[in-house]
Amino acid sequence: MPLSRSKLYTILFISCLAGYIWLYIGIKINLTENKSVDICLIKHATNIPCPSCGSTRSVISLAEGRFTDALQINPLGYLIAIIMILTPIWILTDLFTKKETLLKSYQKIETYLRKPQYAIPLIALVIINWIWNITKGL
Amino acid sequence: MEAQKVDMFIMTNGKFFESHHVMQIRERLIQMDDSKWGMIQTLQFKDPTTSLIVSLLGGSLGIDRFLIGDTGLGVGKLLTCGGLGIWAIIDWFMIMDATREKNLIKLQQVLQ
Repeated sequence: MPLSRSKLYTILFISCLAGYIWLYIGIKINLTENKSVDICLIKHATNIPCPSCGSTRSVISLAEGRFTDALQINPLGYLIAIIMILTPIWILTDLFTKKETLLKSYQKIETYLRKPQYAIPLIALVIINWIWNITKGL
Repeated sequence: MEAQKVDMFIMTNGKFFESHHVMQIRERLIQMDDSKWGMIQTLQFKDPTTSLIVSLLGGSLGIDRFLIGDTGLGVGKLLTCGGLGIWAIIDWFMIMDATREKNLIKLQQVLQ
């Protein structure tokens, strides 16, 4: 068993919390200075955007209801927003009902993602999205 | 199993495990049945140094986590640009131990 229940839930909870704090900071800075926030290592080192560059802006656009903008900046923002909304609810329901449905589904998704027939199309999608990011010049 | 064989295994594969686990592994291998020796010998372990190199180069894309088999965490790192760069830096220090732990799990699966 690679990841225990408490370890996985702590990691997910901390990353969701960090995500919300980051989103709050992003909205604050955007409102006051109207400047995009980026701390991406790859972008600073090579000046080329990474596959997930622009996802902060995308999630902020989603939060403000600009759905087409979010899709144009980075479609991964949709995935991140869904995970960020779903995970805390899922963790809380699991904690209250004392089950481990999230751990079970996490492990199931992991085994699916290891299979080449799922992995290769997803990798291709990420690379296509990356190329799109570079041509957009995020 | 013969202590000499086990010591040879420890000598060649010791670097793939954490130092505080090596003595435990030695004892378990000595108690082990001789019939499993062939399987133990052909096990392929992941080199911690390789995963460190991958972590330094592709850490913010989560490739290091994909490499050692933590697909879920890898996806998490990929989506968040290496956890806003912070997780990627933490993993430069964590990934070698994580690899050694994965190797131990692999060995344990055969030993059971």
